[in-house]
Amino acid sequence: MGTPAKNVDVLAAADDLRRRTLVDMTQPLERLIYLASTRDYNTGLYYHHGLALRFSEEAACEALADCHREAFDELVGASLEELVHELEAYLESTRVAPSDFIVAWKGLEPYRVAVPVGIDSLSSELVFSNLKVALAILEARLMGRMKPGASRHLSPVQ
Amino acid sequence: MISLLFYLLVGVGLLVFLWLLARRKGAPVEGCGRQFVEARQALRTLQLGLLPENLIERLFDREDFRYAMAASPANIGELFLQERKRISLMWVRRVRCEIRNLMQFHLGYSRLHAKLSLLTEIRLALDFGLLLLACRALRILLYMRGPHGAGAVVVVLTAAAGRVCAASEKSLAFLNPPALESFRRSSAGNGAAI
Repeated sequence: MGTPAKNVDVLAAADDLRRRTLVDMTQPLERLIYLASTRDYNTGLYYHHGLALRFSEEAACEALADCHREAFDELVGASLEELVHELEAYLESTRVAPSDFIVAWKGLEPYRVAVPVGIDSLSSELVFSNLKVALAILEARLMGRMKPGASRHLSPVQ
Repeated sequence: MISLLFYLLVGVGLLVFLWLLARRKGAPVEGCGRQFVEARQALRTLQLGLLPENLIERLFDREDFRYAMAASPANIGELFLQERKRISLMWVRRVRCEIRNLMQFHLGYSRLHAKLSLLTEIRLALDFGLLLLACRALRILLYMRGPHGAGAVVVVLTAAAGRVCAASEKSLAFLNPPALESFRRSSAGNGAAI
């Protein structure tokens, strides 16, 4: 059947992924969004060109799925305070204007499509709910910082 | 003549009663595979989806509550309470539903297959009763005091649910032959959509 060999490949691919690609992404939220972006919406399969070349497409797919689930599990266990820090760090890493980021995240809720396959709906609902509150806290903070000069109102995306 | 008729009626009545008792010999073993699969599914959902320690800790965490309440606009605290209440009510509803599924399985089918002792069965029945009661109490507490005033009931509920899961695991252990287990571990589960 060759499953043990396949397993070794997946573990090696996951290790490689962590060491090369994910090493700079210290926040689970950042990793979650990145790994979700490697998944094909139509097939649900993950694809990473470099990893697939070094190992195999199947091993790369499973390694990406494992790391994706790992990042999600970390988010489930993250406190609200940690989540606010993560959102703030992610916002800084995107180099998008904070107001635009808040508007997009509140309106589009992009994290909803970043959930790995097979996750229980309660865990994902908890993460969505925590992100919603963390976003509200971050927005209040940003508004507080903006107050002295600007009075730009953040309205949701239509 | 009247007394003869009376005794005949009593006799027929007893025969009908015996026939009914003979028919009611419990759940049939044949064709009950679906119940086992459903029970296994309920057990998995409880163990992996609803009762993991980190999930419960996060759901009823007091630090999150304090942090959200300290956040500057008051409506953030309200939003947090509203959201946690919604999720924790969803959690209780799901736990209750899966516990009822397991209970149905134990009531109808488990004793035909698992060699549970009488003491274990009594303990299991008490745990099921306690769980359903705790779920009800928790729902009331969540409505009245919110998720942060229900810690003690959550502890009781998760402990009883853990015991029920362990007993159910034993009853359903024959569904996990070693060969299947090793295949499941090394197959492409874990999130890969295959």
